[in-house]
Amino acid sequence: MTYIEKPSISNVVKFEDPDVAKVERLTVMLNTGTDIYQGACKKRGSTLKDEYRKVAGVCYMDPKDMAKLGVGNWESVLVKSDWGEVVCYAAHSRDAPHEGMIFIPKGPWANVVVSPETYCCSDPTYKGIEATVEKTDKEVLLMADLMRDVYKKYVKEGEKTEELPSLGEIPVYKKIARSK
Amino acid sequence: MAYEEPVTDYDKIVENCTCAFCGSNCDDVDILVKDNHVVGVRHACRLGASKIMEDEDQRLTVPMVRDENGELVEVDWDTALDKAAELIAGSVRPVFYGWSETSIEAMKPGLELTELVGAVIDNQATICHGPTVQAVQNVGYPLMTLGEVKNRADMVVYTGSNPMNAHPRHLSRYTTIPKGWFRKRGRFDRTLVTWDPKYSDTAKLSDIWVPFEENGDYAFCNAIRAVLKGKKLKQDVISGIPKEDIYELTEKMKKAQFGALFFGLGLTHTLSKQRNIDIAIQLVQDLNKYTKWVLLPMRGHFNVNGFNIFMSYEMGFPYGVDFSRGYPRYMIGETTTIDLLNREECDVFMVIAADPGAHFPGGALAHLANIPVIQIDIHWGPSTELADVVLPGTFIGVETAGTSYRMDSVPIFMKKAIDPPETCREDEWIVNELLQRVKKLREASK
Repeated sequence: MTYIEKPSISNVVKFEDPDVAKVERLTVMLNTGTDIYQGACKKRGSTLKDEYRKVAGVCYMDPKDMAKLGVGNWESVLVKSDWGEVVCYAAHSRDAPHEGMIFIPKGPWANVVVSPETYCCSDPTYKGIEATVEKTDKEVLLMADLMRDVYKKYVKEGEKTEELPSLGEIPVYKKIARSK
Repeated sequence: MAYEEPVTDYDKIVENCTCAFCGSNCDDVDILVKDNHVVGVRHACRLGASKIMEDEDQRLTVPMVRDENGELVEVDWDTALDKAAELIAGSVRPVFYGWSETSIEAMKPGLELTELVGAVIDNQATICHGPTVQAVQNVGYPLMTLGEVKNRADMVVYTGSNPMNAHPRHLSRYTTIPKGWFRKRGRFDRTLVTWDPKYSDTAKLSDIWVPFEENGDYAFCNAIRAVLKGKKLKQDVISGIPKEDIYELTEKMKKAQFGALFFGLGLTHTLSKQRNIDIAIQLVQDLNKYTKWVLLPMRGHFNVNGFNIFMSYEMGFPYGVDFSRGYPRYMIGETTTIDLLNREECDVFMVIAADPGAHFPGGALAHLANIPVIQIDIHWGPSTELADVVLPGTFIGVETAGTSYRMDSVPIFMKKAIDPPETCREDEWIVNELLQRVKKLREASK
């Protein structure tokens, strides 16, 4: 089982649940941390691939919370915190129930919304962050596009990252022409 | 999950290799090799197997330098090393971060280079078990080796960690499932307890799950300590747990013959940080008035503990050591990587065998976009998207032999199974080469 297309998740979101009141935006507590799918994909090195976005760019939610927002598995949600905002896939958490809590596996997507504050303890606050979740139409970005979009290290002035072509799923660099 | 045929087409099996993934350092992994390529792995968990069977599409094979358009361009080793050495020699406040996924052998020249240029050397402990190290300095370290737990423990507690996801063989190889000298029936002779707000994959396997509230670890551990000291709990519910349950759990912990507490990043990443660990360690100390209890941090990378041991041995400080004044200084919150980046203090960042792009908070990474970044790694990862010089290393434990320290501080020699790609160089060689080049540049500028 070397590659997976996406993690297997259950699908029991009941949109018609009478106990659930629909909301536009949900205030939640954000947790991040490792997850076996994320770990396997990251350490194999497949970080540019679509697989990485499906294992690390995922917001695992309680099915009730998903019903409140009206999002199904693998639909996009926008997660916002004081430190940034990022588009992730919504997915049914296998650790549910945990209403009011979301889990994003550690990775470039989670990094955008976690707190860099260390309180002089060397360790940033990766867990227990206040965030909001809402439904969105935006696409979840591939890793390379996300890094370009967020940090803009090699984006020229005046260029808009959303208009640039995708950097794709394989490493791109200029090779030296080798004579045989 | 689809069924996969067993791998039968291989030239040789390299037996008893050490897995280079997590702090469990399983040293019983068999690697199946064909034409100098790994075609299969036996005994490893999903994580270990996926790391050893790496993704060759994204392997860094050649040295690269960014051109003026911001594109990576392949160059020869001399050019790349000279460029990196120039950046390091010309910097005022360099930070050398990483080291946890390379061997102790590579750290040695790294430390020499750090001293020479007056840099800050730091490892992944700074973003994971740094608070643990601080707590150990505060209140002590009732440590054991994992073999003791296997042979003796009848109660195993995991808190703030999810070994079924992060250290999948930890339970089956060291703590809960194996048969031990005094635990002849293995899993049936042991009580597995998980304290975690989430019903994690480990909690699902446990006999007892204690779902305390988020950020409730400190109060919960303190409540157990109070009960141990014979005090009555005044609140009915503490951190979301009814007090009767706390009395019952405390009684069970007191009655265990040999208990082991394992804790992970759930404790170090929440708001109380090192104070959580302080209290967990003191809880274990208190329990030792009644019976034998030990504890161990669940270290993440296979050599993250090795770096802390190496640095403590060489310099007296475990991580975040600053040489800018010519002598080693260590001050949490001052000389640690995330704080240096948050304050936008460092001007050259070298990352070796680590991936800050994937693991640093965005607020800290934003500064990496302003400064040159040198990357020494084996795969094209999120950090490569921010790197200006890329130097391809080799894979410790598969392509290069080396020493690492397991989470319980047992040193393990990791042997090699295959030869590295021709164009890659060992981390030790790369760091040494940088050291020599920086030395030359320094002498020339005198």
